[in-house]
Amino acid sequence: MTLRSEGVGYRFPTADQPAVDGFDLVVDPGTFVLLTGPTGCGKSTWMRLAAGLLQRHGSGTVDGRIELDGVPVDGLLPSHRVARLGFVAQVPHDQIVTGTVGDEVAFGLESAGQSAEEIEVGVRRALQSVQLDVSVDHPSTALSGGQMARLVVASAIAGSPSILLLDEPLAQLDPPAAAALLDVLRAIADAGTAVVMIEHRVHLVRDVVDRVVVMNHGRIIGEGADKLTEVGLGLALPVLPSPESYGPVLLEGTGLRYRYPNNEMDALAGVDFSLRAGERVALMGPNGSGKSTLLKSLSLAIEAGSIRQAGGVIDVPQDPDLALFCATVRDELAYGPREHRMPPDKIVARTATVAEALNLTHLLDRAPQSLSRGQRLRVAVGAAMTVAPDVLLLDEPTSGQDRVEVARMMRALAETDHTRAIVFATHDEELARAAATRIVRIDRGQEVKA
Amino acid sequence: MSIGLDPRTRIVLVFNVGILALVFDHWASLLALVALCLLPFLAKWKWTVRALSLAVLVVWSTVVSQALFYNAEPRIAWFHLGPLTVWREGAVYGLVQSLRVVAVGLAGVALAIRTPPDRMFAGLLRLRVPFGLALMASAAFRFLPELSESWSVVRQARRRRGRPAHHRTPWRWLQLEVSLLRPLVARAIRRAWCLGESLDSRGFDPVAPRAVRKPLRFGSGEPVLVAAVCTLTCSAVAMRVLYLLYTWDSVYVPSLRPMYAFVRAWL
Repeated sequence: MTLRSEGVGYRFPTADQPAVDGFDLVVDPGTFVLLTGPTGCGKSTWMRLAAGLLQRHGSGTVDGRIELDGVPVDGLLPSHRVARLGFVAQVPHDQIVTGTVGDEVAFGLESAGQSAEEIEVGVRRALQSVQLDVSVDHPSTALSGGQMARLVVASAIAGSPSILLLDEPLAQLDPPAAAALLDVLRAIADAGTAVVMIEHRVHLVRDVVDRVVVMNHGRIIGEGADKLTEVGLGLALPVLPSPESYGPVLLEGTGLRYRYPNNEMDALAGVDFSLRAGERVALMGPNGSGKSTLLKSLSLAIEAGSIRQAGGVIDVPQDPDLALFCATVRDELAYGPREHRMPPDKIVARTATVAEALNLTHLLDRAPQSLSRGQRLRVAVGAAMTVAPDVLLLDEPTSGQDRVEVARMMRALAETDHTRAIVFATHDEELARAAATRIVRIDRGQEVKA
Repeated sequence: MSIGLDPRTRIVLVFNVGILALVFDHWASLLALVALCLLPFLAKWKWTVRALSLAVLVVWSTVVSQALFYNAEPRIAWFHLGPLTVWREGAVYGLVQSLRVVAVGLAGVALAIRTPPDRMFAGLLRLRVPFGLALMASAAFRFLPELSESWSVVRQARRRRGRPAHHRTPWRWLQLEVSLLRPLVARAIRRAWCLGESLDSRGFDPVAPRAVRKPLRFGSGEPVLVAAVCTLTCSAVAMRVLYLLYTWDSVYVPSLRPMYAFVRAWL
């Protein structure tokens, strides 16, 4: 089946500009298409239109047509959707409906009214396709990040859809898990399914896909590497300079050890960590290796052993939603300085400086919760920066950001006058090499020495 | 519930506990009901300690407060604690009410912690609960435990950026506490939206018939257990109704005098 998008536009009810405007794209069977573009350019909006979701549930204005072999996608009967369209959203955990792996994959097949035998065959075939080697009775929410991403893909392909749409399925995966999922998607495309995937880290995907479609300001601006460079996405991240010498130790943890309740393995198994003024440390390691736990222990959110903090420490959690509680972005950025009784003129100045450094100036009067995930993450980082702590601990601060915003954020963090050291967890090897003065690799709760 | 009962059996048992907790009015029978509801917690020492602690806390606090502040007549002073009078009827009333709450609470918690959400979902469906309602209930079961964790992350995030919460006027403190609900609500809405999209894209239709991957099957003896418990509950309800009719001078059957005596003494 061919997916045809002609002159498609979408305007959210309160927006001045359309999120998608005149979007034309044809995707043939067996083609693997990467859809990329700057953060907030309308990629996810178009994908939800292509899945027929915004037409059914959105309250905005839709223009143009999206059809599958001449049939409008929003007109498909629920029981027919499963065999036509598969859709995978950004956060795997939030789209899991049932309690076990088998039931999760079976959900769409049950909707399609298949027999118990057909469902069982479909479940096993889908799990095999994504190489998810766990029992069908395994609890679906007890999987690792990589396994969960495969589970949602298996659930989407169980009905053998003609089109598979994926919104940043690699965002929270470590490089090996991302590479494995890409291989799976390539195989699905080779078997005749048209695959459209959104991703910012083009360098990870470029060699696997058939087409790279670049989007900006709601429409396609072209295909291929040239167009990527035009919007700054094809560029390598600039390497940030390292200071000639480092200052005193600001944060030190010795023999850090932590085990989560009801877990048989230590999340941290005796890690020593120290941070000097001037350092930018990248924490790297596979999903579930203990990076986030180490950051939590350093911020004293959990008790994992002896920690010595010589100065203020602020952490920004992986989920930006949990760090934002003010009515506007401006209030969010000003909250910390106001709490520390900074004079009003200085609050305004610091808020403006941080907003400009993180490209948030145009969003200052918006509600943080109404922004895209990438923008919310920037607000969360900015809200921590305005407090001017000595140490900033950031858990995957660049996930969901395009390369321009990643470079901008890391430069802002490196050049800030107040914060003296940062630690950030990331899966992005290129980012770590470009922005960090030191890389600490963690695996199974222990530091991996080079 | 520690013996792998079918979810329908579990739901029916909890439902029966709810009815019996209302029908029983004697502390001994309610205590027996509480003891039965504690059985599923015996599988783990940690659960047993927590369940017992919670039960003791609820019973103790209710008994003490009712014993001191019981206001109905007749009441007999049990003993005096300095200027305070401890009323015997108040203590008994508090004991009965708290045992009711504990029995129903323990049964509900046992159902929640010993039943996977998908089994609960399947069980509710087979008990003819509408699909949408069953799905919402099982999704809530899955997401509710994460709420307290999220709440703690939000509070930590705020604490790191500002002064301690109590370093402000009560009004400001209240405003701050309310504002901390914003990220939780926003997250819940975002999550619900995502779950809705996931359901929609996988062909979910609340009114259409659905196939079932794994039909539920009762284990051997379960129908007998369910029948026995339901019979017991119905009998208790019937005895309670007949007793009430007798005490209201509406219906009196002389041959039922042994039953009236039994209800008065034990139920």
